[in-house]
Amino acid sequence: MSVFVNKETKVLCQGITGTQASFHIQRSLDYGTKVVGGVTPGKGGTLHLNLPVFDTVKEAVAETGATASVLYVPAKAVKSAVKEAADAGMELVVSIADGVPLKDMLEIKQLLKGTKTRLIGPNTPGIITPGEARLGIFPENIHNPGRIGIVSRSSTLTYEAVLETKRAGEGQSTVIGLGDDVLIGMDFIDTLTAFHNDAQTDAIIMIGQLGGAFEEVAAAWYKQLEHKKPVIAFVAGNAVPFGHKMGYAGDIITKGYISVQDKKDALSDAGIIVVDHINDIHLKLAGLK
Amino acid sequence: MNIHEYQAKHILSRYGIKIPKGMIAYTPTEARAAAEKVSGRGPWVLKAQVQSGARRKGYFLEKDAGGEGGIRVVRYRRHIAETAAQMLGSTLVTMQTGPLGKKVSRIYVEAFNEVERNFYMALAVSRVAAELTLLVASLKDEDILKAALNKPDKILKVKLDIAGDTRPEQVREVIDFLKLKPRSAAHLEKLINGLHRAFLENDASMIEINPVGVLKNGDLIALDAKISFDDNALFRHPDILTLKDDCEISERELQASRYKFTYSEFDGSVGCIVNGDGLALAAMDLLRDKNIGTACFINVKGGVDKDKIASGIKIIMTNPRVEGILLNILGGFLRCDLIADGIVSAASEVGLNVPMVVRFEGTNKERAREILENSRLPVIWADTMEESVDKLAVALEEAA
Repeated sequence: MSVFVNKETKVLCQGITGTQASFHIQRSLDYGTKVVGGVTPGKGGTLHLNLPVFDTVKEAVAETGATASVLYVPAKAVKSAVKEAADAGMELVVSIADGVPLKDMLEIKQLLKGTKTRLIGPNTPGIITPGEARLGIFPENIHNPGRIGIVSRSSTLTYEAVLETKRAGEGQSTVIGLGDDVLIGMDFIDTLTAFHNDAQTDAIIMIGQLGGAFEEVAAAWYKQLEHKKPVIAFVAGNAVPFGHKMGYAGDIITKGYISVQDKKDALSDAGIIVVDHINDIHLKLAGLK
Repeated sequence: MNIHEYQAKHILSRYGIKIPKGMIAYTPTEARAAAEKVSGRGPWVLKAQVQSGARRKGYFLEKDAGGEGGIRVVRYRRHIAETAAQMLGSTLVTMQTGPLGKKVSRIYVEAFNEVERNFYMALAVSRVAAELTLLVASLKDEDILKAALNKPDKILKVKLDIAGDTRPEQVREVIDFLKLKPRSAAHLEKLINGLHRAFLENDASMIEINPVGVLKNGDLIALDAKISFDDNALFRHPDILTLKDDCEISERELQASRYKFTYSEFDGSVGCIVNGDGLALAAMDLLRDKNIGTACFINVKGGVDKDKIASGIKIIMTNPRVEGILLNILGGFLRCDLIADGIVSAASEVGLNVPMVVRFEGTNKERAREILENSRLPVIWADTMEESVDKLAVALEEAA
């Protein structure tokens, strides 16, 4: 068990012939990920990294039975790539590139509504189930299989959380980077729900960040949960004195939830273990035993 | 990317939104000429053009800039040049600029408009719901933030479509909420639709009119305007890119942006080199716990170009505020060895004269360590982020 991806998950790569895609797909293959093919329009019928390349996602799905797709396409192509994946009935889409326009993301979120397609990212290191599947750009050598789920809004702090599980003598069930962007696909609630339903996950680390009210919303959800797994949370951004912000609209939209302390208070109040320093996570993990 | 008020107003006026008559001025003489052009008689409003809110309640760092804030009403023509001279070249500090403030390079001279009442209107994106949200409040600008926190029902939020115009019933909802007189109804519809189109057609991330004034005849006028554009979509808008004011950002920030790195300056003494904003935030938090302030941070993201990385590191090394350097790199996409190469090449050009703590993790970290050890640069090694901050604190104390 694990969440969203495991060693049986058939993975497709959109934009497979690019340099970064080739590098990372090869690493994912070496890691044991069941990558079954790639899509690059105009290169259908060829082989790349010994995998069949298709012109469209639909053809690829029909031929390979892939249910997850990892996108290494450039930011401006993300919207059409996600749409194509969703139209082909893909269950999971992981979009790596940073720099996807906000308006494109608004449209992506709208078109995914009511479909079975879940999006991770954009601007994410992806998702990894240690020892089974790697979709994205994770440095796989720092991971090891275990029973701690990790979900993070900060790409680089995801790695920091992984190292903390190691320091506590633990491994990870699945690690998910939600993405650093203003608008993201799956959020804390989607992923925490999955971890709660996963028999292999005993506890969860969540890494929040300044901006938006994702943590507050997740806290409210966790609070009403009947059967809770322990969650340890860290929120970055306490020392930021002034953002390069303009106007008040952003603060108004989050109902004035503007500081890291607000987020920490909301999480604590919901029964989540909040650490002030990310390097304290391993102590709290040890304390759970 | 942010633009100035006068630029934002000109964009909004293209979408049928009424704005006061105004002209930009770079010198006191230009200010006086501008005043004469925009209105035959006073009062006039002189507005410091820095990209920040709360300018009225801000203050100038320079004593000879006078005691008033960045927005001044001038009644008599003979005072225009004098007031303009006080503001131009001075540094305005507001609650949004930070303590260093921003230098005023130009002022916008407007005709003063008598209004019956004001209201707040903005268009922004709700992140959790992933929706375009129109915000409306019948408040004075100083109360907006407090209302958001304490009286959320005083703020109307309307979800707008991401394609097409605002629907008539949505306009109706805003009219009722604001209790506007019927003669303003058509003007309000024009205002909301203008705002909606300006937002979508220009890939804005936020547009705020704080406030909208209601004129005696019922017409609505944008007395202020702020527009932020989505940096990720600027490639679709070369015309907007030309509005970028390089004076608004520091020379170093500008340099970093050329390499697609993010760079921010604060008023502390440590320079941070990281490959993620979250990592920067976490490092700054740890430094603050030791009462050490951050001078600047650069996020080299997933850089793959050695020379660009070296140039980025040089920006930190040459910042005169920097008394110590904290480097935290968690290699994934980014390879640690490229960073090590970058450090060596930057140090050979500009020298490394302050303590530097280095912490590598992830892709190619052993190779990176080898490179730095071979270079014989006096870097201090750390294994965790916490340790890196501890060691830097000790080194700074020793250096002092």
